[in-house]
Amino acid sequence: MTARGRYITPLAWQAATILALIALWQWAALTYPAVYLPPIERIAQGYFQIWHGDLLHSALLPSLRRLGAGFAIAILVGCVMGVVLGSLRSLDPWVRPTIEYLRYIPAVAILPASLIVFGATDQMRIFVIAFGSVFPVLIAATDGARRVDPILLDVARAVGLSTAERLVRVVLPASLPSIFSGMRVALSIALVMMVISELIAADDGLGFYILRNQRLFQTANVYAGVLTIGTVGLGLTLALLAVEKRVLSWHRGWRGLTETGRG
Amino acid sequence: MDKSAAMNEPILAVDNLTKAFPAGATPILNGLTFRQEPGQFVAVVGPSGCGKTTLLRCIASLMQPDTGSVLHRGRHFDNPPPWLSVVFQDYNRSLFPWLSVRRNVAFGLRGSGANDKRVDEALRAVNLEHAADLYPWQVSGGMQQRCALARSIVVSPNLLLLDEPFASVDAQTRIDLQDMVMEICQTMSLSALLVTHDIDEAVFMADKVVVLSTRPARVVEEIAIDLPRPRDQLATKETPEFLQLRHRVYTLVRKQAQKLSR
Repeated sequence: MTARGRYITPLAWQAATILALIALWQWAALTYPAVYLPPIERIAQGYFQIWHGDLLHSALLPSLRRLGAGFAIAILVGCVMGVVLGSLRSLDPWVRPTIEYLRYIPAVAILPASLIVFGATDQMRIFVIAFGSVFPVLIAATDGARRVDPILLDVARAVGLSTAERLVRVVLPASLPSIFSGMRVALSIALVMMVISELIAADDGLGFYILRNQRLFQTANVYAGVLTIGTVGLGLTLALLAVEKRVLSWHRGWRGLTETGRG
Repeated sequence: MDKSAAMNEPILAVDNLTKAFPAGATPILNGLTFRQEPGQFVAVVGPSGCGKTTLLRCIASLMQPDTGSVLHRGRHFDNPPPWLSVVFQDYNRSLFPWLSVRRNVAFGLRGSGANDKRVDEALRAVNLEHAADLYPWQVSGGMQQRCALARSIVVSPNLLLLDEPFASVDAQTRIDLQDMVMEICQTMSLSALLVTHDIDEAVFMADKVVVLSTRPARVVEEIAIDLPRPRDQLATKETPEFLQLRHRVYTLVRKQAQKLSR
């Protein structure tokens, strides 16, 4: 079999599986009409409506904005704190217990409290997203910073870099492989927190869109919203992987060599 | 201190250096004293595990001694002085895997991009111009060590500290690197302090060999190596003077090593 053939065959199977699932749904929807089984074309119609026009501005974009802001804050705070905590061991006994405790609080649990603090605002939703997704980044950055080869830090000191410069120019880049794996975990949490935060006291966003259509018994739109969230999650994950591939091209090459015994 | 005194100041004066590491443990270095004149190439040899790397870290001001002092031209430094460069032992650990060879070298200038010319010169001095844009892990061990060497000379230092820089390369590369380092020191009129366990290397490269005892290390003897320069890997190593000096250093080191095994 050719290389091309080997690649296409699983792809064909995957496509066939998806088509089969869609066909099964459609068959069920037509055979047993029910409010929870809307036909595919109605779901598809709802789905495409979300991607342009009014719904784009009242559902998809507000969600993406919150997700972007919350995730960005999580990355920033997680990287800065993680790199500092991982490098300055003396801080560890002071800060570590608090972090270890906080990370086990499910972000959902702080939703009512943050509603009191921030009100039903964007800030509240961004805070909840950031709180939920900061810990994987923070833990990964701390671990990455701890594992930096001390010789590299000696080199940086010998060259005359200050502590702050060493953190930015040695510890941060050396921790990036670890940070990126933390970011992948954080992204899926951020997505969950985005939806949940929009189910409470919201007037826009995908979560609100799903909730409103559920109350209106517009089941097709509910499913359309759910599928949109899936698409957003998939798209962002792929985007993150693409960035990682670019930023960490050195890491794959380096690790590839050291693992084959040259290092 | 008047001007003439400053001129006569040794580039490095290690005085009664004692260091326990970790703190409170049996000392690694115990009352170690020697000095290095400007332009001099000094090699420090001793039985393995005698604390050579600790000594080098103290000299580089990467570590502070418990007692005694390390003076660079008569002054004490809490951090490595700018005219001192270090080449670390593990080349594959001392280069930044996320920076190209060129940017690793530029790191010696704190990475300022404004000094392309100096980076080019350093790359040329170690014959690495052709590999400037590769990553360190894409080039051979010898080239990696040359990259580390280029990074240390790019600042035009006065004193070069070399921590077993040729320990993990093959024999031929080792010889080439030795010649390259000697040539660079000569042309840049650099003082160099080489820490090594290789006695041939020490005698061949240095103007003075400092022999250390077993732990806790102190100076057993300083031996002046007055072999003429430039030195040649074959001709110099075949002279009776070289063999005599080698014999003397070897005997001293072996005596220490035997103490250790007893």
